Amino acid sequence: MRKIILFACTVLSAGLLTTRASEPLVFSPHWMPQAQFAGFYVAQDQGFYKEAGVDVEIIHPSPTVSSVDFLERGTADVITQFLMTALTASNEGLDLVNIGQLSQHSAILFASKKSSGIETIEDFEGKKVGVWRGGFREVPMAMLMDQGVDVNWVSVLWSVNLFLEDGVDLMTMMWYNEYNQLYLSGLDRDEVNTFFVADYGFDVPEDGIYTLASTRDEREKELRAFVEASIRGWDYASENQDYTVSLIVDMMRQANIPANKAHQRWMLKRILDLQAPGEKEVRKTELHPDDYQMAVEILKEREIIERILPYEEFFQPVCSFNE
Amino acid sequence: MIKKNSLSFRIIKRVLTFTTLMFLLVLSLFYYFARNSIEESARENAIHIADNAVAKIEQELQPMEKIPEVVAGLMEIDPPHEDSLFLLVETILEKNQNVSGAAIAFEPNFFPDKGLYYSPYAYRDGDRIHSFSLGDENYEYFYMDWYLIPKMLDTAYWTEPYYDEGGGEMLMSTYSVPFYMRRDGERVFAGIATVDVSLDWLTETVAEIEIFETGYAFMLSRNGVAVTYPRREFIMNESLFSMAAERDSELLREIGQDMIAGNSQFREHGMNDTGRFWIYYTPLPSSGWSIGVVYPDAEMFAALRSITTLMIILVLGGLIVLTILTVQIVNRISAPLSQFSNSARLVAEGNFDVKLPKIRKTLELRELHDAFSHMQEELAEYVVNLKETTAAKEKIESELRIAREIQLAMIPHSFPPYPDLPQVDLYAVLRSAREVGGDLYDFFVVDQDKFVFAIGDVSGKGVPASLFMAVTRTLLRTIADKEQSPSKIMAALNKSLSFNNESNMFVTFFLGVMNLKTGQLSYVNAGHNPPVLISKTKETKMFEPAKTIPLGLYEEFEYPEHSMTLEPGDKLFSYTDGVTEAENVRDDLFDEDRMLKVLEENKDKSPKDLINVMMHAIEAHVQDHPQSDDITMMTVSFKGLDHGNTQNKADE
Repeated sequence: MRKIILFACTVLSAGLLTTRASEPLVFSPHWMPQAQFAGFYVAQDQGFYKEAGVDVEIIHPSPTVSSVDFLERGTADVITQFLMTALTASNEGLDLVNIGQLSQHSAILFASKKSSGIETIEDFEGKKVGVWRGGFREVPMAMLMDQGVDVNWVSVLWSVNLFLEDGVDLMTMMWYNEYNQLYLSGLDRDEVNTFFVADYGFDVPEDGIYTLASTRDEREKELRAFVEASIRGWDYASENQDYTVSLIVDMMRQANIPANKAHQRWMLKRILDLQAPGEKEVRKTELHPDDYQMAVEILKEREIIERILPYEEFFQPVCSFNE
Repeated sequence: MIKKNSLSFRIIKRVLTFTTLMFLLVLSLFYYFARNSIEESARENAIHIADNAVAKIEQELQPMEKIPEVVAGLMEIDPPHEDSLFLLVETILEKNQNVSGAAIAFEPNFFPDKGLYYSPYAYRDGDRIHSFSLGDENYEYFYMDWYLIPKMLDTAYWTEPYYDEGGGEMLMSTYSVPFYMRRDGERVFAGIATVDVSLDWLTETVAEIEIFETGYAFMLSRNGVAVTYPRREFIMNESLFSMAAERDSELLREIGQDMIAGNSQFREHGMNDTGRFWIYYTPLPSSGWSIGVVYPDAEMFAALRSITTLMIILVLGGLIVLTILTVQIVNRISAPLSQFSNSARLVAEGNFDVKLPKIRKTLELRELHDAFSHMQEELAEYVVNLKETTAAKEKIESELRIAREIQLAMIPHSFPPYPDLPQVDLYAVLRSAREVGGDLYDFFVVDQDKFVFAIGDVSGKGVPASLFMAVTRTLLRTIADKEQSPSKIMAALNKSLSFNNESNMFVTFFLGVMNLKTGQLSYVNAGHNPPVLISKTKETKMFEPAKTIPLGLYEEFEYPEHSMTLEPGDKLFSYTDGVTEAENVRDDLFDEDRMLKVLEENKDKSPKDLINVMMHAIEAHVQDHPQSDDITMMTVSFKGLDHGNTQNKADE
């Protein structure tokens, strides 16, 4: 019955048991292995970290232990996290800082089946809307509030089955993940209406690299090498998508996570799209002050955070990329 | 080497074309019907296999469905105490070996003293059965598919298959039934009753299905995920749609959609990595999953293909043998034909004794042989005859040539005939249509000043006519020696010609006697074409047509005589019907009008020139048309007395 496969901090780095000169830099993405974190796996697999002189060990969170927990407990030195989640953790007292912003756009969208007749935001009124139980719900909720639409929220975990079975009229989804799962469950793209929160003024960036403020100061050199090599990994992944997708699928299957290339290929492409600046005037790995402002205001308005950390304290990049 | 236009080539071409077409037709029909029948039996077989598997699976799944349904009924009608529910779920496992877990999960805080989560759950641990209350902050079952979906849909639900907790190898599915309870007199939604079922036996049932060497069966979940599949790594990883996406196959996607829509169909599956496939699919009524049975086209039709190949080889062999036999037969028949053609060539060259090919069997060729040898004999005989005939003909022709010379010698043919008679000028022409002719003309002078001239045309042609003409000409000279008047000459001539004229030949005749001193002309016309008078001062004019019969018909016929006086310079143009009746290809006659026109236009010309002009005009009219009748023309010109006197004086 427990459908979630439990991971007890699955350690994927091969170099764990080898003797090391210095302490390794332990990295945890904020989810189980998938193309969302391709750049880090590619950098490790291609030896970019080693070349940059940093010994990186990659561990993964579980449904019960998040990457923020890892950071707090000292299990991980550097993690990725959703901006909103990081801000919430920061508000709750964790002294974390963003040392590089990966995603520049929101991937969140509302999906409805064309057959439901929901064509505009106004049609949402009174409808049952599936929304993630934790983490990512603030932005879509803020958006509908902003649009003045009142809906029946139905909390779900990660499955789209309730939506497929018509248990809800709409569901929040990630463009790179759930949205494509609909397609890979036989629902054609033209059978689905999408409403991207980014199109309604809520283009809040998502994945960023975080560490504790103390670690940032103590291991700045290593962190810079880590971020630079990771970006190199992302660039390599972008140019070698077949290799990257195979690498990811192999990792996922080793971890007993259902995986297929079709989905990971889609995810990789979309994650790369989200990393591109688009119309935003933002440099690679930069968290734009306006985006930061938008995110904290959403959280403040929803009374999830009380104090707003100054931008300069929250975003402390270890390197700067000039495009 | 067979030549393209040879009989053998043409026969072989037609026979082979027809036979090949027949074979192709038969083979195609055979292939078409055999293929249809194999397809039909494969379809029936596939349906049978799939339906059997479905029945077998349903037989197992349906009793499972009863368990949570009974629990749900019990909870609504007569719910046990919440604490004894652990015993209930344990008993369910004890009594049902196929059930690997069972739960009765309640809504959050349904029993206030039990807290947020309350879900008595029993599971197996080897042979033992344990139970506990499921749910904590790390396992918020209210948001799980097995709980949320049947709750939201208010209907029983088979979950998507999943691997057992801990990432074990056991594939599971949960059957969930929503249940209601009475609270303060109201029926409220209370929770979900479930059983967990291992799908291992199910995947075995499907995996056991064998179809030929490479055919297989597989099962898809409602989302199209491979629950069982021949490639192990696909199970629970790939859906038919992810396979379709990676292969970029619209067909596969469409099949997947049709399968999860719960449809049944036998159809072409399209191309796979290993070739072409056929598929039959049908849904499991309980869970909505779908079973597919895949038939490799190559194996399905393998027997048909080998039979067809064998047939094609046999047919090709047969066609080769047929070709060889046909060539032999045709050659045996046609070989004498080319020998015949050689013989014919030799016969044509005059060798009539040439040997003919020997024919024993073929009736038609034997007939040809007999005809050929008959022709040989006839030809030989004919050639002998021809030689004799030709010799005879040559003899006749040479005699005719002599006869012609004699005939031509009989009529005067030196012009001008009388250089010492200036009063008269004359020119005449006789052109025979054959070697010898029946036309005649003559002229002579009697008694110094009488100029006699005559023109005639004997009936008939050739030798008889020429003989009759010779007789006429001889008689004329003889009689004219004694008689002077034209009528008397004619009467005597007629009498002589009519006497003993048993062949009934006759001659039209014009006789004129001109007094060279006076220009007086006496004449008799015995049925001849009237001559034309060409005068310098008057219009060119034809004489009156003759009213008398030709000579040689009645002994005692009287021929009237006419006379006229010629002016000096007058010309008399006489002719035979060969002139006026000269025909061209279109049977147009030269006729009198044309003749008169030529005479009128050339009235000033000398007799010789006039006749030449007339001859040219006739030739221009007739062109290449062979001459059918003798053409004779004579022009006598009276120059006048003065001229004659002067001349006479000079002579004196």
